[in-house]
Amino acid sequence: MNREQRLVARRNAADSRIKDFLDAFEEAADRLSIPCSERRRFLGWTIENLWNKHIEERMNRRLVIENEINNLGLRIPNGTVRKAYTASFALPADKVKDVAIDGLEETGLTLSQPAEGEYLISGTPQKHGDFTLTVSYSTVEGEPRSSFKLPVAFNPDPRSIWRDLRSRLHKDGVKPDWATEYIMVKEDAEGAPRKDVIAASIQGRSHAHEERPRDDYFAARHYEDSDWYVVAVADGAGSAPLSWKGSEIACDTIIEHCRENLDGNKVFEEAIAAFHADPNTELRSVLTAQVSNIIYKGAVKAHEAINAEAAAQGEKPRDYATTLMFAICKHFSFGWFIASFWVGDGAMCIYDEKGGSAKLLGTPDEGEFSGQTRFITMREIFHDKDLVAKRMRMTIVPDFTALFLMTDGVSDPLFETDNNLNDFNKWKEFYSLLKEGFPEDGIPGVNLTDDNPEAAGELLEWLKFWRPGNHDDRTMVVVK
Amino acid sequence: MRKLPVYILLDTSGSMYGEPIEAVKNGLQVLTSTLTSDPYALETAYLSVITFDSTAKQAVPLTEIAAFQPPQLKASGCTALGEALQLVAQCADQEVIKTTPEKKGDWKPLVFIMTDGEPTDDIRKGLEDFKSRKWGMVVACAAGAGANTNTLKQITENVVSLDTADSATIRQFFKWVSASVQANSVKVDEGKGEINSIGELPPPPPEVNIVI
Repeated sequence: MNREQRLVARRNAADSRIKDFLDAFEEAADRLSIPCSERRRFLGWTIENLWNKHIEERMNRRLVIENEINNLGLRIPNGTVRKAYTASFALPADKVKDVAIDGLEETGLTLSQPAEGEYLISGTPQKHGDFTLTVSYSTVEGEPRSSFKLPVAFNPDPRSIWRDLRSRLHKDGVKPDWATEYIMVKEDAEGAPRKDVIAASIQGRSHAHEERPRDDYFAARHYEDSDWYVVAVADGAGSAPLSWKGSEIACDTIIEHCRENLDGNKVFEEAIAAFHADPNTELRSVLTAQVSNIIYKGAVKAHEAINAEAAAQGEKPRDYATTLMFAICKHFSFGWFIASFWVGDGAMCIYDEKGGSAKLLGTPDEGEFSGQTRFITMREIFHDKDLVAKRMRMTIVPDFTALFLMTDGVSDPLFETDNNLNDFNKWKEFYSLLKEGFPEDGIPGVNLTDDNPEAAGELLEWLKFWRPGNHDDRTMVVVK
Repeated sequence: MRKLPVYILLDTSGSMYGEPIEAVKNGLQVLTSTLTSDPYALETAYLSVITFDSTAKQAVPLTEIAAFQPPQLKASGCTALGEALQLVAQCADQEVIKTTPEKKGDWKPLVFIMTDGEPTDDIRKGLEDFKSRKWGMVVACAAGAGANTNTLKQITENVVSLDTADSATIRQFFKWVSASVQANSVKVDEGKGEINSIGELPPPPPEVNIVI
C-alpha cells in the first residue's frame, strides 16, 4: 500500500466508526421513540449536563482540598521588629501547588520552598503592627486559585518604645536627671594608695518615659583634714510628689551634720581606738554613745530638716517621703572604722573579696509585699529604741574591697531577694558584673583602678543596664 | 524576671453566639495591640485565656505579650463557671513562679472573668479552690442583663456590669482591661507591688458600671 492508499484506508476506518456511533445513537433514539426533530437538541442537552457534572466534580475536589487546608488552622508565631524572623509551614504537596503569599513584601519578608510541600517565611520585619498575609495556591487543573488568610504580628522591640523625656525639673535646672561624682584621695605621706569614691545616679527609664524627675539622690565627701569619708544615698518614694526634694534634703543634711561632728572630734577617734584595743562592754557603750551622737542624730536631723522644709512650703512631710542610708568611715592604723544608718530598701554592704565576706549593714525594710518600705519621713521609725539600734551598725575591719551603697533600682534587679543580699557569692558576681559590664547589651564595665576619675562616667553608663520590668531610678556610691 | 500574669476567663456558652463572641474576639485583639505598644506591659505582662462553656479549657497557656495570639473562639453549650475557677487555680499553680528565699517569684496574677449568664454547674468546689490561691486584682464582669452579679460577688468584691453585650460595650470593657493591665505593669516596674483595690485601677468608661 502506498501513502495515498493508507490515508484513504484510515479515513474509511474513522468514517465507519462515526457511522457505527451514529447507528447506535439512532437505534437507541428509535427504541426510545425520540422524534427525529428532537434528536439534535437532545444531544446538546446531554453534553451540557455531563459538562456541568464534570465542572461540579472538579469544584468539589477543590473545595475538599480547601477545607482540608483551612482545617489545618495554620498560624505562624509573632515576630519582633529588626530581629531575624523565620516561620515554616507545610501543605500537602499532592494537592497544593504554586503557593504564593500576598502582602509579604511590605513586611520585609520573603517566601521560599526548602523542600516539596514545605514553605519558609524569613527575613527581618521592618514595621511593627498586625499584618494579614494571603496565602494563595492552585489545586485542581482548570479551577481558580484558592487562598486563606494568615495573620502575623510584629511587635516593637521593647527597648525601642521607652521614651526618653527630660523631666521638668531637669529643664528648669532644678534637679538634673543624672549626676556623677568622683572623689580622688591622693596617696598618703608614705605613698600608700587611699580609697576613692565613685558615685553616679540616673533617672530610671520609667521616669524618663513619663517625664518624671529623678527621685534618687546621693552625696559624698572626704574631709581632707580629718580623713573621714561620708557617703549618703536616698530614694524618694515614687508616690510622694516632692520626694525628689526629700532625698536631696536628707543626704545634704547628713553631709553637713557629719562635717560638723567629725571635724577635729578627737574624743570620738579615741573612743574608737580604745574600743579596738580592748573591746569590753564598758568601752563599747562609750563608743556606741559617740556613734549614736553622730549617726542617730544625723538621721533625726534629716527627718527634722524635711519637716522644716515641709512646714516652710506649707506641704505635708509625707509628700517628701524618702529612704536614707549613709555611712561614715575612716582608716586607722589598725584598720577601717565604719558606722552606718539605714532606713528603707536598697543595699549597703562592706565587700571584702580577699577575706571572702560581704557584710550587709542592716536589713532592707521590705514587708511581705514589695513596696512597703520605710521612709526617714516616718515619725514611728524613731519611736522604738530597739529598732533604732538595729538601723545603726558599727564595725572595725582590717580592710575591704569596696563599700557599696545603692538604691533598690540597682539591688532589686541584681540581687532580687534579701537572702541573696546576705550571700557572699552573689556579691562576688555583682562585683565582677561591675568590672565587666553587660557585653550582651554593649554596656562596658567600670575601671576600678585607683585615681581614675573616668570611673564616675563609666558607672553612670553601667547603671543603664537592661533588666525587663526594672526601670526605676538607679544610684550607687562605691568607696574603694 | 518577674512576670505579671493575667488570666482572662471568657464565657463561650451558646448565649454568647453571634455579636457577643465576635466582640470578645475583637476585644482580645484590642488588648494585645494595646499591650504590645506599651513598654511596661510588653516586658512584664503575660496573658492566658481560659474559656468556659459546657467544660472549661485553657485556650492559651500563660504567654508573654509579644508571643500571644488571640485564640479561635466559638460559642456553644452551657456555662461551666465553677470548672473555670477550678482550672484557673490549677493553671496558676503550674505557671506562676512562687517566691523563694533565693528568687523573687512572679507578681500575683490578675484575673478578669466575663460571663453573660448564670453558671450551670455547682461553683462551690471551684470557688473554694479559687479562693485558696493568692491573686492580685480579680475583676468579674457581668455582660448584659442575663448575668447574676450576686453570684459574681461570691468570687470577688470587684464586680462590674455591662448594660448590654453589644460590640461597642464589650470593646470598652476590653479597653478598660488593657488600661488596668498597663497600670499594674507600671506599678510593679516601680517595685511598688500589685494593684489591690479597684480604686487604683484606671476609672472605667461609662459603659462599664461598678457594682457596689
